[in-house]
Amino acid sequence: MNFERVVFGFFIILTLSLNVAFVAGGGDRAEHHNVWILTLAIIVNLVAIGLKLGDRSQTGALLLASGLVACFLLITARIVWIVVEPADVGRPGPEGMADIVSIATGALIANIVATVILVGDTLLSRR
Amino acid sequence: MTQTSDIDRVAMIVLRYMRRPLFALLLVYSVGIVGMALMPGQVVDGETTYMNLFHAFYFFTYTATTTGFGELPDGFSNEQRLWTIFCLYTGVIAWFYALGSLIGLVQNPHFTQAMDRFRFARKVEGNVEPFIILCGFGDTGSLLARGLSDHQKRAVILDSDPERIKALGVRDYSVSMPGLCADASAPRHLLAAGVEHPACLALAALTNDDDVNLKIAVMARHLNPRLRVICRSTSARHEANLRALENVTVVDPFEIFAQLVYWAIARPELHNLNAWFVGARGVKLGVPVKVPRGDWILCGYGRMGHWIQRCLLAHGVGVRIIDPGVDSSVAGDGTVIVQAHADHASLVTAGIDDAAGVVAATNRDSDNLSTLLSVMALNPDTFRIVRQNSHENQVAFDAARADLVLQHSLTTARRILKLLVSPLIQELIEWLEEREPAQTEALVARLQGVVGTESPHLWSVRLVADEAPAVVDYLDAGGGVALGALCRDARAFPEGLPCEVLAVRRAGQSIMLPEKTFPLDVGDELLFCSMHRVEPLLQATFHNLYTLRYVLTGVDESRGYLFAWLEERLRRRRAGHKPNGRRP
Repeated sequence: MNFERVVFGFFIILTLSLNVAFVAGGGDRAEHHNVWILTLAIIVNLVAIGLKLGDRSQTGALLLASGLVACFLLITARIVWIVVEPADVGRPGPEGMADIVSIATGALIANIVATVILVGDTLLSRR
Repeated sequence: MTQTSDIDRVAMIVLRYMRRPLFALLLVYSVGIVGMALMPGQVVDGETTYMNLFHAFYFFTYTATTTGFGELPDGFSNEQRLWTIFCLYTGVIAWFYALGSLIGLVQNPHFTQAMDRFRFARKVEGNVEPFIILCGFGDTGSLLARGLSDHQKRAVILDSDPERIKALGVRDYSVSMPGLCADASAPRHLLAAGVEHPACLALAALTNDDDVNLKIAVMARHLNPRLRVICRSTSARHEANLRALENVTVVDPFEIFAQLVYWAIARPELHNLNAWFVGARGVKLGVPVKVPRGDWILCGYGRMGHWIQRCLLAHGVGVRIIDPGVDSSVAGDGTVIVQAHADHASLVTAGIDDAAGVVAATNRDSDNLSTLLSVMALNPDTFRIVRQNSHENQVAFDAARADLVLQHSLTTARRILKLLVSPLIQELIEWLEEREPAQTEALVARLQGVVGTESPHLWSVRLVADEAPAVVDYLDAGGGVALGALCRDARAFPEGLPCEVLAVRRAGQSIMLPEKTFPLDVGDELLFCSMHRVEPLLQATFHNLYTLRYVLTGVDESRGYLFAWLEERLRRRRAGHKPNGRRP
């Protein structure tokens, strides 16, 4: 067992789980989506990217790429949240919420890809 | 240069053939169209209308090609209808004439030949994969093409016999193998086949005519001095000529055959290993043919017979010769010679009762098969080696139950294939031949341990950036890679993968059967012998730096900067604390 793999696997799978936790629920209902979970997902994703820096193997490069895609989309979703959030009510309206959730769903795909690569690489290395 | 000349040829033939029909069409069209435009049409509002030239052309086009839409754009007058009849007959006849000429042109042998050459040259020109030119597609050529196809190597084939090229067309090769029916000794055809092409690896001259082979080799040498040429030759005069040329390898099928016969008789373990390497049918590693000791009877004393006798005598095996045309003075002293065909009586005269074995090596399959029958009747215990000349007689030879069937086209093809695909194997076999049989037996025992009863998979890897980037990086960074460590199994460190490195080639020198501790260097070529499933595992080691480091050191290193930094700190702290023993 390799300690680095444990840590990296933890962060990659945690990102995926948080992403699902954020996206799950009605697409345009602001009360179904928690902005804290989104922010946490961004942070965990950044940590996973940081852990992958310096890996010179092909799978490492692919994991880094998918992590960057997910991070880019999650940050975009967070910015949209800030922009569409009304100053007084505190929650975005249904139109803004639909945008945020669809962008976060895109990030979910990138996170699924990263997890599949991680699991596949571990299984294929057979040790 | 070749392309334009072929295009010119095709264009010239088309022009010469189609000139008259095209002129006939042109004449009929112009007369018909002009006539139609001049014919007075229907009278509208007291004025005679005329068809304009475009409508006349439109009308003529659909009339002459018998499409016949009717009277367009308006109804015709009687004058126009009369002219229509004229147009119809002349136009249709002119078209039939032109079409007939075109079909005749397509069937014209000169035209099809020129087109074939043009297409062939274009196919070769556009090819980017490395390929080999085969001149001659007889038994040897087709067996070699099959072998190359099995190794995913392309070939371009030239043969002067149209039947052979037709036979090529119905083969199911795994790679594209363009063929052309042409005289390979003509430089024009060699150029079309890609002698000067940068992807051309080698040229093999395999026709049955030694003169033609010599000519091909010389032409190819002049056209591209850097090209490797492999030339089949059976005459001593030509061989001397060819061996003087650089980059030319001479392959004498009779010599190879004689060498194999000698191995089978005197070095069965080497024969067994060689046959196993080349993948001969029904050969099991470590089960060599059991050949009795004693004098051998050689039936047939032609070019091949000479080689066999020379080879056997040089290694102390007695030979008795049966041949109707043999001259007693040529064979040397003390050799039993029977001047007859190898039948019952002559075999008895040659002493079949106490002979160790018989080599039936005439150039006629029927003679060889009948000799086998006689030997079976007279002394079934003798060892029977038979030469098969024609690939077509395979079934008869299978049924003849000889102890060893050698087909010289097959042995030649295998030798050339070895030279082209894995020259190190041939070097290894020759190296083993010069040494004691015990060394071969030791190698066989090792290979048996590695591969077991499976058929071998041989492949070579060069330690260059393309084929083994991880190893090259590691060596460039100052690391040392030992052969044994490289072949470890990443799934079960520190066990080795079931593979043997048979040879290492470094800077033109070959190191045979290197030790496990042999240090590798950038640019080395390694010849592996193992099973198919092992190659991808080794490839992973060669390509992935982390896997390579793991199999070399047994430590799974950290990949990211963060963990590498942490590990480095941890190591330093441990090193710093050791002298003190404990933290204060």
